[in-house]
Amino acid sequence: MNILNRIQGILSPLGHDLSFAGAYLIETIIALVFAVTVVAGMVYFFRKYMARVQNRIGPNRVGKFGVLQVMADGLKLMQKESIFPDGRDDLPYKIAPIIVFLGLILAFIIVPYSNLYWFGSLTVTHSNVGIILIFAILAIMPIGEIFAGISSNNKYAMLGALRAVAKDISFEVPMMLSILAIIMIASVNTSQPLNLQNIVSVQNIPFGILEPIGLFIFFISMIARASYSPFDMGESDSELVTGDTTEYGGLRFGLFYMGLFGTIFLGSMLVSVLYLGGGSGPYESSLGFIWFLIKTVVLVVISLTVWLSMPRVRIDKFVNFGWKILLPLSFINLVITGIIVLGGIA
Amino acid sequence: MIEVKQPKRIPFIGMLQGMLTVFKHGLQKPVTVQYPEEKENLPDRFKYRIFLSMDDCVGCTLCEQVCPNLTISMQTVERENPRNKRKLYPDVNFGTCTVCRNCEEICPTDAIYLTHVFETARTRNSFTYNPEELEKHEEEVKR
Repeated sequence: MNILNRIQGILSPLGHDLSFAGAYLIETIIALVFAVTVVAGMVYFFRKYMARVQNRIGPNRVGKFGVLQVMADGLKLMQKESIFPDGRDDLPYKIAPIIVFLGLILAFIIVPYSNLYWFGSLTVTHSNVGIILIFAILAIMPIGEIFAGISSNNKYAMLGALRAVAKDISFEVPMMLSILAIIMIASVNTSQPLNLQNIVSVQNIPFGILEPIGLFIFFISMIARASYSPFDMGESDSELVTGDTTEYGGLRFGLFYMGLFGTIFLGSMLVSVLYLGGGSGPYESSLGFIWFLIKTVVLVVISLTVWLSMPRVRIDKFVNFGWKILLPLSFINLVITGIIVLGGIA
Repeated sequence: MIEVKQPKRIPFIGMLQGMLTVFKHGLQKPVTVQYPEEKENLPDRFKYRIFLSMDDCVGCTLCEQVCPNLTISMQTVERENPRNKRKLYPDVNFGTCTVCRNCEEICPTDAIYLTHVFETARTRNSFTYNPEELEKHEEEVKR
């Protein structure tokens, strides 16, 4: 039983076809609302956590404990005037923030959310190639950054976009190789290792314990994917104004900002699905979603601690790190996984 | 060309220590004092607002003489006080007061004294307190 069947059961007086269409629509809307809520919560949590780390109080004026601060900021961004740079490339300039946010929201729909009490499985997409789908969608988001950087007709934005591309190329290869290791190890116990639900269900021992190197590489890749400090070369606050988002203001900037925070949460969700067993834990059948959220939130706290404690790495250092350390490490990880699989340890 | 000394290895242990320090700071109490709602505990010897007890003032003008920047000037106030025949009382311009406490120190009858009160925000050109206002509490002084 999953949430789709539950909603369809409620809508069943409408007839078979119509009720299924309505159920899919409602399910998708729930997932989108979840994504936006998570992003708003992340922004609030980040501001509070950063404040506490710096021995400040953080937002506490709008609403109780400042919980409505994000909404107030959103309203402010909506009211701002759209300022367009002269000599911009109009279409890419306007669709760039939409591409970034769209990629984020699509990725939220594919993640396996596991079970929750009466609702059953909360997963929206039941695809047999979910893992390929989600990384294909993650590859859409850099296109938005590149569009933004090149179409702005601004040297800072251009440099930021170039740095972002250099960064993306250097971590994506090790990331995909560590995913390959996951698929190898999952294929021992399931005939469809590309299905994200299957990957979660075969983790009697979490893959993070079997492949600590893979976990390390993938976590670093997720930090670089969300591009926050220490890997925020695309933004480079102190050198390039704000890099590829320099010329954006108002709600368009807001979309980039939401993309950043959503990607942090998405990266944590992916690490917990692929390496920490996703929704598995005690009382798995009814509390899977809660376990999944707990693991994700712990990873989010670790990510934000990384963000707040490390300075930005220089771009050439990161490219060196990606090609000279992460890539060999991911090959070593692949070999170790092969030994584990062939030796029948998993 | 300048030779830059590069670290041989990536300092992972140092990074972890830094992260731990950052996380520990997250558990500490914030140091912010949210001023209008909560007030900081001021030191005992903190003084700002000058008060005047008009019954004790003998009009000797010592405070005016000792004041380093003409913050205090004497004024005539029609008031029954057998000890103050000349009817001279100090008025204080807080716009220039440097809180040197010379007036408090020199006053022979302890009529002029400084207190903890420091919230004396006023509009421009109204920093001068006349002797009657100096005797009142800060809340009672008309802004």
